Amino acid sequence: MDESWKKAKGVFAALGAPPVLWLLAFFLVPLAIIWGYSFGENKSLTEIAVDGTFRNYLHAVRPLYLGIILKSFWFAALTTLFCLVVGFPVAIAITFASDKAKSWLLLLIMLPFWTNLLIRTYALMAVLRTEGYINFTLAFLWNGVSHLTALFGHPLGPFQPLELLHNNFAVVFGLVYVQLPFMVLPLYAALDRLDRSLLEASLDLGAGHFTTFRRVVVPLAMPGIVSGILVTLIPSVGAYLTPDLLGGPSSQMIANVIERQFKTANDWPFGAALSFLLMYMTFLAIAVQAIVSRNRRGRER
Amino acid sequence: MSGARAQPGPLEYLRRWPIRAWLAMVVIYLYAPLITLMAFSFNTSRRNIVWRGFTLDWYKAALADSDLIAAFGNSLTIAAVSTLVSVALGALMALLLWRFRFPFKPALEGALGLPIVVPEICMGVAMLVFFTEILPWPTDLIWPFNLGAIIISHISFSFSFVAIVIRGRLASFNRELEEAAKDLGAGEWRIFWDVIVPHMRPGLLAGALLAFTLSLDDFVITFFTSGPDTTTFPVKVYSMVRFSVTPEVNAASTILIVLTVALTAVALKVSGGAVATIEAGEGL
Amino acid sequence: MFPASNAFRSSRRSLLAGLGAAVAGLSFSGLEGCAQKGPVGPNGEELKLNLYNWDTYTGKTTLADFKAATGISVNMSLFATNDELFAKLKSGNPGFDVIVPSNEYVTRFRIADLLMPLDLAKIPNRANLLPAFRDPPFDPGRRYSMPYTWLVLGIGYRKSKVDGVPDSWKWIMDSDRYRGRIGVFSEADDMIELGAKYYGHSVRRIPLPVIDQVAEMWIRQKPHIKIFHHDEGQDLLLSGEVDIVMEYNGDIAQVMTEDPDLDFVVPREGSILNSDSLCIPRGAPRPDNAHRFINFLLDGKTGAGVYNTIKYPTPNAAALALMPEDYRNNPVIFPPAEIMARCEYADFEGLDRAHLFDETVTRIFAA
Repeated sequence: MDESWKKAKGVFAALGAPPVLWLLAFFLVPLAIIWGYSFGENKSLTEIAVDGTFRNYLHAVRPLYLGIILKSFWFAALTTLFCLVVGFPVAIAITFASDKAKSWLLLLIMLPFWTNLLIRTYALMAVLRTEGYINFTLAFLWNGVSHLTALFGHPLGPFQPLELLHNNFAVVFGLVYVQLPFMVLPLYAALDRLDRSLLEASLDLGAGHFTTFRRVVVPLAMPGIVSGILVTLIPSVGAYLTPDLLGGPSSQMIANVIERQFKTANDWPFGAALSFLLMYMTFLAIAVQAIVSRNRRGRER
Repeated sequence: MSGARAQPGPLEYLRRWPIRAWLAMVVIYLYAPLITLMAFSFNTSRRNIVWRGFTLDWYKAALADSDLIAAFGNSLTIAAVSTLVSVALGALMALLLWRFRFPFKPALEGALGLPIVVPEICMGVAMLVFFTEILPWPTDLIWPFNLGAIIISHISFSFSFVAIVIRGRLASFNRELEEAAKDLGAGEWRIFWDVIVPHMRPGLLAGALLAFTLSLDDFVITFFTSGPDTTTFPVKVYSMVRFSVTPEVNAASTILIVLTVALTAVALKVSGGAVATIEAGEGL
Repeated sequence: MFPASNAFRSSRRSLLAGLGAAVAGLSFSGLEGCAQKGPVGPNGEELKLNLYNWDTYTGKTTLADFKAATGISVNMSLFATNDELFAKLKSGNPGFDVIVPSNEYVTRFRIADLLMPLDLAKIPNRANLLPAFRDPPFDPGRRYSMPYTWLVLGIGYRKSKVDGVPDSWKWIMDSDRYRGRIGVFSEADDMIELGAKYYGHSVRRIPLPVIDQVAEMWIRQKPHIKIFHHDEGQDLLLSGEVDIVMEYNGDIAQVMTEDPDLDFVVPREGSILNSDSLCIPRGAPRPDNAHRFINFLLDGKTGAGVYNTIKYPTPNAAALALMPEDYRNNPVIFPPAEIMARCEYADFEGLDRAHLFDETVTRIFAA
């Protein structure tokens, strides 16, 4: 309808007041407080004074913390890359499936997303543990093969379990596990809107499937790819639970450091500065995406 | 769209074996951990790896664990209340943005997107500080009012999602219907209830399901806002996982998984699949 | 929003309170009528108690016995480190009645004015305490705390996977012999202080160069460490995830009853002593129940039930008298005197020190 708000002020106020006030009071105000704290300092064990100091930010951009942030981005980038590689064929399969198969496949991909994140992480722990299901299966196979080779006089020796849990591999593995549906859905949404005649034309004109994929599908699906990257990357950078439960001695990510400032180290102003640093970077990523998509739209026009 | 699908052509990637194998592997990757988790909730062995025999003891233990049951009740209550409020607020917000032109509209749209993009940990600490410094929530209120702080936090992060899903649905509204209703003499209120709301319904349902799962799923934000009397299921499970792992956790998890799957199935059935397509289409 | 200028100087409480009132415009006066009143006991308090405790730190039937004796049901939440406990309470008690901080944190809570002074008349069972625990330096005259256990950090290990007795911190901190099978307790204070101990320094007033030296040692050692745990070292040891782990004596003594292949030693360099203490935080909703609970725990028979399960050394003479031989003569629970002579209590040395320790540990984790 897009009518001016002046034409129906009563309706406008009735619709607008509750959600806008809620957003203000219970979302923007809490964020504003944290933002304020990021310019404060500890006065005693329990008192904080907001005095406009930039000390926390200066503290936060020292190599120690920048390194941790960088590492978080590195983990998140790896996660996003794996999600993209694993998820793209899945999105293609769903897009070009029959209607019936399509809704089943969508459900199949989304069902884990509806399952509790903590439970999924816990399930992974049981799978990856030194005495977990993967090692158990491998040991079973190893012993079977060992029995066979023993017949020829060459037993394989005892099975050495793989170290799968409590290391960086486990963190990325776990992040891919929880983020995969977030990548597949936007990819699917973009591919589904794609004009199929373009693909058929490309194939008819003799381009192989791979060339068609590279030269036609990827460029056309770029907005979906970018939004998929964004919805995977942002939560991954700020992941707390996955590194906490699956990680090892060197898997500390920025969310774990922030959590420690609030829950154990008792340095709220510094924790606030770190989380706002994370927030600024998130905004930057979104701004870059917006600019990219605007440029694209500009060119297409 | 549908024309290409009718003919078995080169684009039927699902029929090609490499894609099929890939899909099978992804499905195994997504489901094997969950299925083993569920299967081993019936295992007699406490050590959780080797199958020793079938038992329901862990379910008995989980159901007899009054803390766990209380946490479960808290989670469901929080999810239910937060869903109701989120859908109401989200629908209002969606209608506002859909219907009106007004100053600061882009700013409001940006602010609405914030809860979706703000890292969870930042939101968690913001809520922690808010509820300790500005609005210290009394802990001795009668249940369920003592859950207020958690419910408010959950609404704050889910109603944006709801608003965006519903707005997506409203975008496909055929304005001529409204014109027709107006021509037939229907008042504004009548039009709203008889024309707009029915059109919104799949969006409302999709939004509700989303809000419910977001609330039930949330760990980080609740972790920062919960107290001794307001433990939720994920927070309780976290404490169980962190301090000692027994198949009781598997049993409790299985109950939650079955519950969410059943709920999803009902929502899909009721909406005739619209929920899945709307949520997927919005590119969450 | 907050202008980030120096002109903006105000105590945070008044500022935030004003902001809160202006923005939220909410008041709970309407809800006060809803304040919870479950079944009430003779003392006018609800028959309920929120206990914030360490994991595996009560007897099998302790809480049920307390309920049978008084009708008060205990709701127990768990924390893993003293820092976690302090952080949870520092911004206002979310409803806990009894907490169990270690000695130097009793000091810290006291300085922050977060503890309620105990009404000693309500704790007659304090007469059961061993003399050594009646007037500790961290709480002169026992005005704020009652001792629950004392404990010492050491090395838990799997005998079949370790050569001899690993009676030095070296095997945890400074050697690759048990590469990939080492578990380290992730509490910042303990990591730094025990490192200093390994270098022959006291755990108190550690000089800055020693802290750096310790940090470098941990960074060197990190590739060999399997996991920094949150006080679940005994579970990791029992499940075979690690073979040698930094843990408290009682935790290891507990799992030794399940697996005879496990053992515990206090390294010859010495270690940190702790005295976990029962305290009532300020703002506890049910202080009288809290006093009754503390008094109940100090009872000889209750204590015996607790220590039989948790296998921690007791500061309670009446409970000790009721304990079996295999507890009283257990070298894991009561390590030999010559080793104990090399162990010491840590002190709370101020906020800056705490931040320094935390940042050092962040540096170690990040390396």
